[in-house]
Amino acid sequence: MPGSAGDLAFLDAGGEIAARSPLQLFWRRFRKDRVALGSLVFIVLLIVMAIAAPLVVSALGLPSPYTQNSNLTDSFGSPLGPSGGHPFGVDPLGQDIMSRTIYGSRVALEVGIFGTAIATVIGVVIGMAAGFYRGWVDTLLSRFIDVVLSIPLLLLGLGIGAACAVRGCIGGAIQPGLGVIIFLIALANWTYVARIVRGLVLSLREREFVDASRALGASNLRIMFREILPNLVAPIIVYATLSIPLNILLEAALSFLGVGIRPPTASWGQMIAAATPIFNTAWWYMTFPGVALLLTVLAFNLLGDGLRDALNPRSA
Amino acid sequence: MKSLRTRTITLVALVGVLALGLSACGSSSSSSGSSNKEATIKVAPGILTPTSESQTGGKKGGTLTVYDHEDFENLDPGQSYFSLDYEVENAVNRPLYSYKPNTFSDVTPDTAASAPEISADAKTVTVHIRQGIHFSPPVNREVTSKDVEYAIDRATNPNVPNPYFPGYFAALTGFEKAKGGPFPGVTTPDKSTIVFHLDKPLGQIVAEALVLPASAPVPEEYAKKYDAMKPSQYANYQVATGPYMLKANSEGKVLGTGYQPGKSATLVRNPNWQASTDFRPAYLDQINISIGGDTSVIARQTLEGSHTLQNDTPAQSIVKLAYEKYRSQLEISPGAGSRYIALDNHKGPFTNENLRKAYSAAVDRTAMDKARGGELVTNVMTHFIFPEIPGFDEAGGLTGPKFDFNEHPSGDIAVAEKYMKLAGYPSGKYTGSATLQVVGSTGSPASEDAEIANQTLKTLGFKTKLNLVDQSVMYAKFCGVPAEEIDVCPNVGWVADFGDGQAVLQVPFSGKTISPSGNPNWGQVNIPKINKAIEAAEPIVGKDARAKAWGKIDEELVEHAVVVPYDWDKQPNIESKDVAGVGDLWNIGSWDYSFTSLK
Repeated sequence: MPGSAGDLAFLDAGGEIAARSPLQLFWRRFRKDRVALGSLVFIVLLIVMAIAAPLVVSALGLPSPYTQNSNLTDSFGSPLGPSGGHPFGVDPLGQDIMSRTIYGSRVALEVGIFGTAIATVIGVVIGMAAGFYRGWVDTLLSRFIDVVLSIPLLLLGLGIGAACAVRGCIGGAIQPGLGVIIFLIALANWTYVARIVRGLVLSLREREFVDASRALGASNLRIMFREILPNLVAPIIVYATLSIPLNILLEAALSFLGVGIRPPTASWGQMIAAATPIFNTAWWYMTFPGVALLLTVLAFNLLGDGLRDALNPRSA
Repeated sequence: MKSLRTRTITLVALVGVLALGLSACGSSSSSSGSSNKEATIKVAPGILTPTSESQTGGKKGGTLTVYDHEDFENLDPGQSYFSLDYEVENAVNRPLYSYKPNTFSDVTPDTAASAPEISADAKTVTVHIRQGIHFSPPVNREVTSKDVEYAIDRATNPNVPNPYFPGYFAALTGFEKAKGGPFPGVTTPDKSTIVFHLDKPLGQIVAEALVLPASAPVPEEYAKKYDAMKPSQYANYQVATGPYMLKANSEGKVLGTGYQPGKSATLVRNPNWQASTDFRPAYLDQINISIGGDTSVIARQTLEGSHTLQNDTPAQSIVKLAYEKYRSQLEISPGAGSRYIALDNHKGPFTNENLRKAYSAAVDRTAMDKARGGELVTNVMTHFIFPEIPGFDEAGGLTGPKFDFNEHPSGDIAVAEKYMKLAGYPSGKYTGSATLQVVGSTGSPASEDAEIANQTLKTLGFKTKLNLVDQSVMYAKFCGVPAEEIDVCPNVGWVADFGDGQAVLQVPFSGKTISPSGNPNWGQVNIPKINKAIEAAEPIVGKDARAKAWGKIDEELVEHAVVVPYDWDKQPNIESKDVAGVGDLWNIGSWDYSFTSLK
């Protein structure tokens, strides 16, 4: 029968009950997921490598990614394959592909992380406003989201690339390159974040703790950012982590189509595009940036899955 | 891989001379008029070239298949201006004069019976028409001088927009007012004589231009109704004078029968053609041209297939494959045009001649050519007049004029630094604030050349912004628009219409040709001394005198380092093992259906 002293003996025998914060709970669950943990380690290493790219390249004894060397192509201009000095081979300009692949991680991460961060901030603010205020604000913002969702992103990118090449558009404010890609990614992504946040806020705003803080005289802004927002952190982190790889792929696609990163800056998508016509004779040119892209996207996806499981066990 | 194939990027030279060097009419003997050259571009041993391919002794008969990734632009003899269109024109239409496959300097009378007669004041050009040439069905009758007159008249018809006619024929009396009907500049005193009357003593211009397809006869009574349409529909109903004709139905309609845009074209024998009137052997019975498809797939089909030619420029990897495994099926034509880095001579840092010289010295031209496929398909360019064109030797032949900034094709940083110092940069590096706008063309190998050019600028300390755009956009919106102030255009190039120095130098380097849009003088080169020399060289008569004058101008252009030349192109072409293909040197190596035969 419950209630007997013997039933509660484990309280003394098993030691103290520790109060665990949500973060500690998350970490306990997350570290059991070896795949996600491995992905996290990979991503951290990738970030370190991207930041320290010049050091990494010189430590490996590789030439700079912009060093052209026509001696590294055969007499027909075809690039030479992997060798001791150039483990990933070279491209038709004699540029070292390993070096360029390492530098390419900078673009991928910049685009993935900054693009997603901007999209998330915009999405959260707009989604929260729509969900919290409801009424005409919600209608207006939701229709606006529908409009933005109907913009064909790749076509817009191609259009900007064609129309704004060289001199830029709007007095040089829009120039094809990293900025435009981040802008496109933010444009593409904030709507999804906003919709998710709006849905969550619609239900959260009816909860008792919101009523309680309103009864205490809290302002709308305080309720939104101090009471509701902390409850959104988990889904936002999961969603953001899962959209980083999509954004890296979008950058690769735009660069592949020639409207993204401009040469000589190394970008994986642009390297893959340049390698396509000579894949038969220079497999290494496409393979190594391709593998780098694959691993990076995979790592972010696995990490995102792990985070979702750890932060929100109910959905597992 | 897009090459200089598109004629429209080359525009026209405004004046030229032929007169001398016409070979015996209709003769099949191919005396080489260029044998006095001390050096010419070499093609790797064992490779076919238009100058070595046999023009005689081919097997008669058979059907040839030609694969063409690109469609034709315009098959009207009055409008075509593209190497692929010229391939068909050259087989179906006979201009007054033509080049044989192996030459770009000696013309042969074609519809004309003999060399043009230019009056002493150079204001009248008289041409006699050959007898016995007949139009294909449904016209069938013999060609007279009236048909050539109409061909010239219709080139002034707004419904027949001709890209080069105003450039070469503007001196004809009454040209400005001509709208397609007869005008006083062209008369026909009898049925075998046509006379061109000029307001200015530029008889040579007109004589030279008569190798262009616009001088091929067109029957007025048949073509007039089609030329009245806007635009003219004559191309779709055209009749032929050459050994072949575009297949047509009984009314003469070609469209849908002998030419299906985007799909195919079919050339069959012209039943009214008589071999005795033509220098073309015309071995083949039929040529089926298939349009579209992937160039790499086409290349493999051609290399491994039978009775097939590829018309597109094969990719570098295919050229390599062909060289290594199918060498006897690879044709390479030298003199397929020139490529250079245009520098803005009008505004920005490169108005400083010493900076231009420094950059010329620094550019690794061998690396740029290697990126294009290496020595097999390129030759380091050291000045502007191409090999095979008179003036080439006078300007220094293959090695070019002797200037220290021009003597090191692999780039020489020490020489570059010398000129940087002369330009006022004692460190040897550019320290100005300008950011150079570099606009190149997308797609390999142009993009690689642009990147090398860009990297060299950085080596000299310039800040740059490199943009790669589609080739047509590069010309139309940036490099051909002075107001855009593009400092460096690494992917511009030139193909000449005639084998004359003027056809190479006058348009891209005379200050007079600079225009606000569609500017063909991409470097905005405007040096008074050179402008004067060009003006003085235009009316010069005589091949040797012209070669000397234009060779001298060529040398002066190099002396001022106006732009950076890097490649005299060689055009690779691929044929099946059982085809004896013959290319046209004058048409950047494109196939000549009238000389090609099956083995």
